[in-house]
Amino acid sequence: MSCFIDVAFDSINKYGEELCGDNVEIIRTEDGVIVVLADGLGSGVKANILATLTSKIAATMLMEGASIDETVDTIVHTLPVCSVRKLAYSTFTIIKVDNNGNVYTVEYDNPPFILVRENKYYDVKKRNSIMINDRVIKESNFTLKQGDTLTVVSDGAIHAGVGAVLNLGWQWENLKDHLTRVVGKEKCSKNVTKNLIEVCQNLYMGKPGDDTTVVTIKMREPEEIDMFTGPPKDTEKDEWFVKKFMEGKGKKIVCGGTAANIVARELKESLEVNMDLIGPDVPPTAKIKGIDLVTEGVLTLSKAVEKIKEYADTSIEENPVYKLKAKDGASRLAKMLIEDCTKLNLWVGKAVNPAHQNPDLPIDLSIKLKVVDELIDLMKKLGKHVNLTYI
Amino acid sequence: MMTIRVCIGSACHLKGAYNVIQGLQKIVEERKLDNQVTIKADFCLGECTKAVSVKVDDDPIVSVDEKNVKTFFEEYVLGRL
Repeated sequence: MSCFIDVAFDSINKYGEELCGDNVEIIRTEDGVIVVLADGLGSGVKANILATLTSKIAATMLMEGASIDETVDTIVHTLPVCSVRKLAYSTFTIIKVDNNGNVYTVEYDNPPFILVRENKYYDVKKRNSIMINDRVIKESNFTLKQGDTLTVVSDGAIHAGVGAVLNLGWQWENLKDHLTRVVGKEKCSKNVTKNLIEVCQNLYMGKPGDDTTVVTIKMREPEEIDMFTGPPKDTEKDEWFVKKFMEGKGKKIVCGGTAANIVARELKESLEVNMDLIGPDVPPTAKIKGIDLVTEGVLTLSKAVEKIKEYADTSIEENPVYKLKAKDGASRLAKMLIEDCTKLNLWVGKAVNPAHQNPDLPIDLSIKLKVVDELIDLMKKLGKHVNLTYI
Repeated sequence: MMTIRVCIGSACHLKGAYNVIQGLQKIVEERKLDNQVTIKADFCLGECTKAVSVKVDDDPIVSVDEKNVKTFFEEYVLGRL
């Protein structure tokens, strides 16, 4: 089984705090992913330091192959002791998933993780391990199948609404039920975390009583997208390139007027511009048979990058941006790259456009290349694989 | 049937291709020429320095902006209908 491990997280800070007392560390290795969610005691700076130390130490040590006993021992002896509570304390959940779906988890005092398989909650047997501060550490091993979703939340999520709209807060059971209804509808992890965070935000009525974090791991079928932008530097390569471009298995995106003309010409298909979607902001899209999305180049790309950047941001203040419904080129491009893509093959042409020599126009090749670089960084931040080829 | 193709590539978009298209559509509508003139958008006509590039049938490309849409229409389109 070769699944793509889609990991995403989002946080909201306790009302009035600038720093989050929860911290998530995601480390991708060749064998899989290590995810650590730590929730520091208290809130603000102190909690942030505790959580950051805990998650960094745990993720780094486990990645290097240390045992769980050594890791926990190091954490306990490293954390500074809180002067108010005389305690060094941070709860944590560690999840290690390898590329075959084998999972090893370690949980210490965070709400139990929630595994959803085929829209049903799936109970996992856990065994007790060592103790810290009279509280037991729980371990488990199991295997994730394609389509499974594993979600961990900090206690801020299950207390959402406490004393305000709900007497006892949202509670773990309710959150679990909500998840079983939601995960089947969302294609990517980031949409699940955004959805949960949005609910928590609403239950807290915009004033979270605690730092709230949601991490979701989803085993997805890998989906490739081939994206072509900018004409090849050497026009003689057009034919060779388009043939190669069309060989890819995944969806196809072409960004750029000249690039689109080249593809249409080589495929001997017509290029129809969608007149109905013409608006002053984003240039219109077009249709070429066999290509999933055809847009203008640098302007659409930079608008899409803006949208993805907003989406990838993990600390949401209000109105999380997700589910791009608009039909303009930039929104459709951003949506495809966010939801339908686990691996992006970028083909970037380096031909120089004569218009870019015109000093009146604020665009040139270097801007395009900069936007492409930014896109690559963002896609990597979202955990996607990126392949870049200059042509 | 005459076809006017307006470029909407990056350069032309920035120079106001949207307004040129709107302007042309308005003129065609006002003069009730719908069944004689078609306005189409085109992905880069390859003359980015002449933004906004506009092409009437197979004639050479004309540079149009939102202010001279009317003059362009009278000069290049009306005379040939």
